[in-house]
Amino acid sequence: MRPDRDDLDEEIRGHLALGIKERTERGEDPTSARLAALKEFGNVTLTRDSMRGVWRHRWLDGAEALCRDIRFALRALLRVKGLAATVVMTLALGIGANAAIFSVVRSVLLRPLVNRDEDRLIYIRQTAPDLGAGNTTFSVPEINDFKSRVTTISAFGDFSTVDFAMIGLGGEPRMVKAGVVGGSFFDVMGLRPVLGRLLNAQDDGPRAAGAAVLTHRFWTTSLNSDPGVIGKTIRLGPRAATVVGVLEPSVPYPADTEIIANVVTSPHHLGATMVTSRTHRMTELFGRLAPGASLDTARTELTAVHAAIMREHPEAYSARAGVQLSVKKLRDQIASPARTILLVLLAAAAVVFVIACSNVANLILARSVRREGELAVRAALGAGQGALRRTLLAESLVLCGAGAVLGVVLARPLVAMVARYAARFSVRALDVTVDSSVLWVGAGLAMAAAVLLAYVPRLPSPHAPAGLGLASGSLWITPGTNRRLRIFATTQLAFSFVLLAGAGMLLATLVTLQTANTGYRNMRQVIVFDVPPSATGVATPNGLDFFREATRRVSQLPSVEDVTVGTVVPWRDAGLFPGGTRFAVEGYTPADGEEDPRARLRVVGSRFFAVLGVRVLAGREFTDDDGAGGEPVSIVSQSVAQRLFPNGDGLNRHMWWTDPYFGKPLPRRIVGVVADVDDESVVQRPVMSIYMPVRQINYGGRLFVRAAGDPYALVPSVMRTIREISAEQVVERAATLDDVRAEMLSPERLNAFVFSGFAGIALLIAVVGVAAHLRHAVGVDHLEIGALEDGLTAIRRAPRDEGTVELIVRRPAVDERELLDEATLALDIGIVRTLALVASRFFDHVQLPGALPLLGAAAVLIGAAVVASLMPAVRASRVDVLQALRSE
Amino acid sequence: MVKHPDERRLELLQGTLDMLILRTLQWGSRHGHGIGQAIRAQSDDLLKVETGSLYPALHRLEKRGWLRSEWGVSEANQRAKYYRLTAAGKAQLSRERDRWSQLVDAIGRVLNPAPASKE
Repeated sequence: MRPDRDDLDEEIRGHLALGIKERTERGEDPTSARLAALKEFGNVTLTRDSMRGVWRHRWLDGAEALCRDIRFALRALLRVKGLAATVVMTLALGIGANAAIFSVVRSVLLRPLVNRDEDRLIYIRQTAPDLGAGNTTFSVPEINDFKSRVTTISAFGDFSTVDFAMIGLGGEPRMVKAGVVGGSFFDVMGLRPVLGRLLNAQDDGPRAAGAAVLTHRFWTTSLNSDPGVIGKTIRLGPRAATVVGVLEPSVPYPADTEIIANVVTSPHHLGATMVTSRTHRMTELFGRLAPGASLDTARTELTAVHAAIMREHPEAYSARAGVQLSVKKLRDQIASPARTILLVLLAAAAVVFVIACSNVANLILARSVRREGELAVRAALGAGQGALRRTLLAESLVLCGAGAVLGVVLARPLVAMVARYAARFSVRALDVTVDSSVLWVGAGLAMAAAVLLAYVPRLPSPHAPAGLGLASGSLWITPGTNRRLRIFATTQLAFSFVLLAGAGMLLATLVTLQTANTGYRNMRQVIVFDVPPSATGVATPNGLDFFREATRRVSQLPSVEDVTVGTVVPWRDAGLFPGGTRFAVEGYTPADGEEDPRARLRVVGSRFFAVLGVRVLAGREFTDDDGAGGEPVSIVSQSVAQRLFPNGDGLNRHMWWTDPYFGKPLPRRIVGVVADVDDESVVQRPVMSIYMPVRQINYGGRLFVRAAGDPYALVPSVMRTIREISAEQVVERAATLDDVRAEMLSPERLNAFVFSGFAGIALLIAVVGVAAHLRHAVGVDHLEIGALEDGLTAIRRAPRDEGTVELIVRRPAVDERELLDEATLALDIGIVRTLALVASRFFDHVQLPGALPLLGAAAVLIGAAVVASLMPAVRASRVDVLQALRSE
Repeated sequence: MVKHPDERRLELLQGTLDMLILRTLQWGSRHGHGIGQAIRAQSDDLLKVETGSLYPALHRLEKRGWLRSEWGVSEANQRAKYYRLTAAGKAQLSRERDRWSQLVDAIGRVLNPAPASKE
């Protein structure tokens, strides 16, 4: 329909040909006929352009004008490089932060799982909320009941986590976390192999051959994606298994394991306890919705079946436990812990964006005030409102476009950081990648900012007396503009303060935790090794002799001060014995209806407390004489002594464990009282603990070595020494207690780090904003300074008075502090308190902020404002009075 | 200086070119050159349409749906674009013709008032 360039040319050629023909027929010679025809036609190019112009849409004209404006804007912005760079950087920070966080939110919360038909994949969990057990898992009889009765689930998949001592696939013997699954597991999960095959029904049962599938992460990181791994044999504890395949990359849930093996590899899974005991729960349960069934119908049926099972076996479900069933889509189950924290982060990022936009709006507004003269001239020369707006839009498009590009570049490292942070809440964050959503978010935010910014400045109204603006040069300012500047400045200061106070809060929490007294005094010098005992590690006929020998040999190594054995690495092994164990003591009778007291059961070697630097308050600690043939003894912690023996007469009384698990109670004489140590939580609380000697319990597993020099220098010699005793013994995870604790605190550190990052960005932006605001105020004050001095000169006929200038120059800075003090602080302390209340729900250990973080945040902000105000003040003091007045 | 023979030509009133183009196409299709010649001939050489105005006008009318164009071969044995009235164009022509005669009538009354009859 629309003619192209050739069409138009041909039409014109046709016209000329007709003209020439007409003239030659009238007798003119061809050359002059041609010239005359051309002359008659006129300007060919112009005609062609007008013809093409007819067909062009209106918006095309607009776009062309915008292109022109953008070129113009580029030239104009090059003249104010400082301002342009500031605006671009500010926007880049705002856009980058948002794009990064949105990227993570999208990956973790919104993206579907790789599992086939992941929409129909559900996760079933048994909980006992009244006992504080968020996940009791299932026993095999329970799962069999579900399998036989439920119809809305087409197939169940089971998964239990086991630690194996693995030998094979190169490297040293070591502990691996493994999943043990039934043959239906991979089919229910809807996962595929990238190499070899996965496990199926033929791998079930006690007579199948041992088979193991490697997870993708393990295969790629530890084995360099070696395809030759298929068919290799590995030793898993006492059994052997063949590597049959490699799993595709997928979300590792419920546990991030390295291998997944069939049931036959775990003797425990084939034992009578596992198969017949209804209360022996260690298996996670997945299901696939049957065709036609919905999540709701499945949940209804599962809950009904579960209730029936509980009625049939009352002995297995304590009435006080409040056992419940939860049925969720797997995707929701995996993402839900991260939901709140990610939304909080998204909000923080949005705050940064608001600050950035306010700041940029401020800068643009200040600039547009300076160029109102220019705009007025253009309006006077006939530029419509639309054209003026377009000029402004072009400028803000250039600025925001550059900001977005830089922001997307910034977003890449930010995504990695935020993903690492989110990974502690949801395993899905482990495979967050930077994708195009970053680009879209960046572009979208930039467009939003550009349009906003273009509509911020006031245009010279065609109806208002534009002459006024013209006459007063380039510095005509209205109360409205001033108010807007103030609002933007206050907004960004307020939000910066909120973020600063939040970061201060988290930093204070971190410092409190890091400097807390743990009760262990030798944290830097004690290095601990995991040396798993025979139950899961290497089968040595008598583990006790092994540890005795190991202790003896290691203590003879140079620069080893002392060696002891334990069962639990503080903090790292937290949760191994949850809830505590019931016990009784001589001389303490629980009141009627009161349960036996509970304490943490710990098994430690001789000189344990000396090695770790825990104070012995009364009596003695274990020695080599507290052996298998000797008197049964125990040591209690301060809390036990204080609570059960308020008179301080606990020593030499007897205690015994009352949990039926321990069989016939064996009274143990209390030979010592030691200081409380909390080896489970990073927040120290007084904890009741009772210790028993390793050599009476015959259980160890952790070797504590106190070094004279650098503890890590001992690692090779200690490992070599232990391997000399037993070549296949697992020895791993060497770390000083100090480092173990630091690792436990890394989430807190990360919290503080992420929020400090946000606050830092906000502060940077706010400082720039304050500087720009004052700079603008100084610009306006040029006139006032000039006018005032002129008056003075006229009256007093005196030379320029430095004092007056200073007085006036100081004014905006004072304004700014008023702004801070009055408007912001009062408002913010309220916001921060609310925020802290909200935050305490999401972060461990956050308390209402003390005065210190708040005062700190205020001090930092005021300091920044003062620094920011220095630059414009210096500028103002250099105002050339004559020039300022002449510009009128 | 010799007076140019075109001196006696008239400037087209603004807005009348479209109407003249539609009129010259009343009895059939013509190419651009033909339309220009027809206007010139029918006005006894008093009106001459500049090609710089004629072609944009033709395209404008085509865009508005009053003309339709198709390629043909001209008497100069070269491809030329022939324009033809559409139904909408015919309706537009009669509207413009009415408006024009009203305008001429009105202007005529102002310039040559009828002899006063009431006073």
